[in-house]
Parts: sequence; structure tokens; C-alpha cells
Amino acid sequence: MLNQIGNYSLYIALVSSILIIIQSPILLNRNNINVSGRIFSLISIQSLMIIISFIALIITFIISDFSNETVYNNSHTSKPLFYKISGTWGNHEGSLLLWLLVLSIFLLIFTITSKNLSNKYRILTLFFQEIIILGFLLFILFTSNPFMSLFPIPNEGTGLNPILQDPALAIHPPILYLGYVGTSIIFSSSLAALISGSVNKTWAKHIKNWVLVSWIFLSIGILLGSIWAYYELGWGGFWFWDPVENVSLMPWFCLTALFHTILILEKREMFHSWVVILSITTFSLSMSGTFLVRSGILNSIHTFANDPSRGVFILCFLFILITLSIFIYFFYQNKIKNNFTKTYIVSKETAVLVNNLFMMFFLSVVLIGTIYPIFLEVVNNDKISVGPPFYHKLIVPFLIPFLIFMAIGPNFNWIKDKINKINLQQLLFFILSIIISFIFLKRVGISYLFSLPLFIASIFLFLITIKDFSVKKTNLSQKISHFGFSLFILSVLVNGVLAKEYSSNMKVGDERQFLNKTIKFESLKVNESKNYQSLEANFKISDKNNSINLKPEVRVYDQPQTITSEADIKSTLYSDNFLVFNILKNDGFYNVRYQIKPFMIWIWISIILISFGGILSIVKKNG
Amino acid sequence: MKIKILVVTIFYLIGSLNLSYAANSEKVDQISKNLRCLICQGQSVYDSQSDFALSMKILIQNKIDEGQNDEQIYDFLKSKYGEWIVYDPEINKNTVLLWVLPLILFVFGGILILRKVSIK
Repeated sequence: MLNQIGNYSLYIALVSSILIIIQSPILLNRNNINVSGRIFSLISIQSLMIIISFIALIITFIISDFSNETVYNNSHTSKPLFYKISGTWGNHEGSLLLWLLVLSIFLLIFTITSKNLSNKYRILTLFFQEIIILGFLLFILFTSNPFMSLFPIPNEGTGLNPILQDPALAIHPPILYLGYVGTSIIFSSSLAALISGSVNKTWAKHIKNWVLVSWIFLSIGILLGSIWAYYELGWGGFWFWDPVENVSLMPWFCLTALFHTILILEKREMFHSWVVILSITTFSLSMSGTFLVRSGILNSIHTFANDPSRGVFILCFLFILITLSIFIYFFYQNKIKNNFTKTYIVSKETAVLVNNLFMMFFLSVVLIGTIYPIFLEVVNNDKISVGPPFYHKLIVPFLIPFLIFMAIGPNFNWIKDKINKINLQQLLFFILSIIISFIFLKRVGISYLFSLPLFIASIFLFLITIKDFSVKKTNLSQKISHFGFSLFILSVLVNGVLAKEYSSNMKVGDERQFLNKTIKFESLKVNESKNYQSLEANFKISDKNNSINLKPEVRVYDQPQTITSEADIKSTLYSDNFLVFNILKNDGFYNVRYQIKPFMIWIWISIILISFGGILSIVKKNG
Repeated sequence: MKIKILVVTIFYLIGSLNLSYAANSEKVDQISKNLRCLICQGQSVYDSQSDFALSMKILIQNKIDEGQNDEQIYDFLKSKYGEWIVYDPEINKNTVLLWVLPLILFVFGGILILRKVSIK
């Protein structure tokens, strides 16, 4: 029953999509009509239908209706309700339906909030957005339908991968998708603005909110993924330069470049073409991300879906969209006003360009690092791995000038500034940073090639961003985001340099000394939970002044039968205590891995600050 | 008793985990972080608890004990398992574009900006 409801709603949505695409060129030539009328009702019907089908899928998961193949493959009656619901998008079919849901809701919001803009621009945006929606509808209905029926109806499902049964990962996909899909509106509207010749101040002002919203969701989505990786995957790191992680970082670089540039378009009517190119690229990267993850082309820990026929469909769809946009760009490029206002080298405009240059460089490192191995394998069957050392080697040397520039750049004036404004105060801060870094590294005893300049640059940026809170020139949201970024870099560095790790084999009752601490394996017990059994260890970590207890677990899930290792983490403002244990065959011995991770919590806080700056900027503008 | 049963179940599920962990030296950690665990999905040898990773760590420890340096160990592993095993691809005719392309793009972009802005 629910399967039919879901299916039919999707088909109705498909019909509305086709109707809108056919009608929009006709309406385009009648300038006096407002979009409201028929197209608006079609969009509303479409959104409603997609919402109904999504709710139908959620209900199927909640009541564990195993006549639905997706539910059968990804759920189980013994699962807690929360994970039954999150199971809806914890699989290939459901996650695509979520993509579609966000696509159509965003389009509805766009239609409602763009009423005072030109008719032509709005209809064109609808048109391009509907092409994307149509593509996704076809993809879902013909290769990944979440409403396939099973007969005879199985009694029990096969369950959701236990490592996905986690609160952070339950909300990670929806948040990330809000970011990804937000870029579709930027894409459609930039093409529309290009064709209708309205790439200008007004458009920049309008689309800026969408850029910010996508950027905020993407940032928080990435944050949630990292936090999950940190405590669930058990190695104590939060970023591994894994292809699936990279794929979310690429549109982030692009969006960051975009909203810096779009400010220039808004304030100074410059860089029109570049803004359009960035808009197109951002969405292409989001789509490619979906393709790379969903096609199973990547050899990666996160890839849970493997089906080449789907990959081919997305690849063709992606190819059509990108070709279409490139064609439109070159065809209508001459419509862009090209008033080359002179740009001086010391000015806010140049500062933004340099920001863009670095963003594009970081983007290209991540992009090439991610897809190069795939190409090489196709071309001459050589398999290479590109991992953390590659990214560190290419990114770190460029990070140093970038950080210094980020400290100086934001204080430049528009149009033309004086070079000698790089003043005594900044010089003083710089010298101070050198001294702090030198003393710090000397005490820690680190002497890698880049560590000193890297510390100098990041401490410099940190000091300047704090000082900037007292300067009136820039707005508060920018100050918070920039401060957040400097805090992020500094926390990551300090965390990397000061992290300590101890690993050993221990029996219950054993004691080990590590640094000035005593690690005691106190006890072991078995816990029974609804859908898993767990072996819970109790460790006491004590030093002269205080002691903490860490209780890591090894869990055995029933459905599907899987083992996960749950780290126990105690966070304080200064450092995290992280402990995982594993079972050894040697009777009674357990492998214990204890890590001290300084300033871990500040990495998360700083990303929240970065995003908060963006939120503040939206609220202030609309409030 | 309950503990014993659960431990046995876990063994049964993990399969043949018959190697014990040795407390590794820092050097082993450092090298194994740069190695891909070939039988895992996107994990380094350092992070993995699989049979392969464990025997790999022992192998590296043995090589260090024999007095080999980092380079010799990497070379040995590459000759045995191919380039695929190291996360840090060396520069050769296959990978030169991988390393150089981002740099070329940066220089190209920089030139573009310099041509756009006027110095005075």
C-alpha cells in the first residue's frame, strides 16, 4: 500500500516536472504574466508529491514493512526507533529520495522568495532546476527505486550497518545534502541570470543568501562527519583525506571562493564572469561528489553502494549538465557587462582575488589527488594510492603565505589602499608570533622543515583576528568566521604536535605507566542492549592530582552480525582522553590504545564559530 | 562466564586472529601510517587491526631490527606489493602530473591576477 503511494507520488512529480519544462519556454515570451499562476501550482504539487513519497518511505521504515525491498535490506524490527527513521536515508535509494526532496523544497522556497525579481530570470531558474529534478526523478524511478515490492513478504529485515547506527551519522547526510543541493539553486540561477542578462548587483544580493546557506550546511555537515569518524572509526583521527571526505571538501573550497567574490560583484559590479564560472563549478563538484560516492568507483571505507549501471547514469547526467552549462556560458558570455574598473594591487578587490587563487589551488590539489588514481588505473592499469602525505606536502607550503595574507588582506580598503599601511602594529604582532612559535617549538622539541613558519603564520593570523575585533571597519560576522578559522588551524597544529599515544597488551588488573600517568585495567563486564551485546571494559587513568575512568566497548550487533569497537572519550577544554580496546587471542589479553589529544574540542568549536559567522551574516541582513 | 562466551563469539566473527599485538616502536607507527592496508577499505596499516596489518607491523619491526632505514623498507614493500601500498606516491613519469598540475594551475592563476591588476 505504502509502496504504491510512494511510487504514484513520484510519477505525478515526474509528470509535473515535464509539464513545467514544456511550459516555461512558452511563458518566457509573455513578459507581462507573472510566474505565480500555473507554474507555481505545478511546483507546489510536485513538492507535495515528493514530500508524500518521502513520508511514505519513513513510515515504511518505522512500521518495518518488509514488503518494501529497501526496508528489508536496511532495517530490522529490533532496531531503536531513531535508527529506523535515520535508516530511511542511510542507504542508496533513500538518500537519493532525500536529495530529490531537498531539491524540490529549495525550488519552492526560491519561487516564493524571488517574487520581486524579473519574470524571465525566475522562469529560467525554474527551468534549469526542473531539468535537475527530472534527472533525479528518472534516476530514482528507473535505477534506484526505494519502493520496490518484495513477495513473499520476509519476516525479518537484514539490518542497518551498525557503524551507521550513531546520532551524528544519522543527521550527517541530511545536513550535508542541504549544502550540496543548495548549490543547485546557485547553478540554475546563475545560468538564468546569464541568459536574461541580469548578472548584476541585484542578482548578487539575491543569490548571496543561497550561497551562504549552502556553505553553512556544508560546513556543519563536514563537521558532523569528522566528529563521527573521530569517535567511531577508532583511530583517533578526524580527517584522513579519504576520497569521500575530499568530495565534500571540494564544493566547500569553491563556495568559500564564491561568497567572497560575490561580495565584490554586489559592492563594486566586478568579476561577473568569474562568479558565474564559480557557480557552475560548485554545483558540478557537488554532483560529481554524488557520482563518485554513489557509483562505488572509489575504494573507500564510506562506500556502501556498489552498482555500475547507476554510475553510468549519473555520469551521463553529469556530462549533459556540464556540457549544457559550458555551452550556455560561451553562447551568452557577451551579454555580461564587462566594465573593467581598474583594480589596484593593494585593495580589497585584489585581496579577494588572492583568496580565490588559494582556494582554487587547494581545490585543485584535492580534486587531482582524488581522481588521478582513478584515471591512471583506467589509462595504464597502474594502481597508486594518494593519501595524507601527498596532501600535506602540497598544501602546507601554500598554507603559510595564505595564512599571512588572510591576516593582512581583510583590512584593505576598496579600490586603492596604501602599501605602507602594513604598519608598525602588524610588524609587532609578527615579531611576537615568531617569538611565541620559537619558544613553543623549542619546548616541545619539534624541528620539521615547515613547522616553524607554519606556527608563525598561524599565530600571527590568530593574534590579528583577535585584534580585529576592536577595529570598526569589517563586520562582525566576518570577524567571527575569520577568528574561527585561525583558531581551527592553530588547534589542528597544536593537536598534531602534542598528541601522545600509548598502546599495549593488558590483562584485567594490569597497570601500565605512560608519561606521568598510570593506566589501570580495572574490570570487564557484559552488557545486553536491544540490538547488541557489548563487552565493556573499565580503565582508570590517574596522575598525581586526579583520575578519570574510561569505559570503551566492543559491541556485537545481531542484525547484521557485526563487531564494532566503541572508543570512550573524555573531553576537557585542554585535551581529550581517548581509549579503545580490542580482543586478542592470547588468553585474557586485550590490546589497549590510549591517546591524549590536546585541544581536540577546539577543533569542533572553531568550525562551529566559522559557520556561526555565516549564520549571523544571514540573520543580520534579513533582520 | 558470560565474558568468555562473548569473547569466543567475537573471535568466531573476526575469523582467524592468531597474531598477538606487539607494543610497536614509534618508528613502526610512523612508517605504518604511510601504508595502505591492502585488504581493508580505506584504512592505513597503522589504523587497521586486520591480520594483514598486524603481520605488516611485525615485518616492519623486523626490518628495523635488521638495521634497515625507512627508504629501504619502503622500497622493499613497493617491490613486493606495488606502488599501491604507499600513500605517498613517488614522482615518476606516471605521477608527475599529479604533483605538478596543481602547481601549474597556481602559477597560471597568479599570472592571470597580475595581468588584471595595475601595480600603480
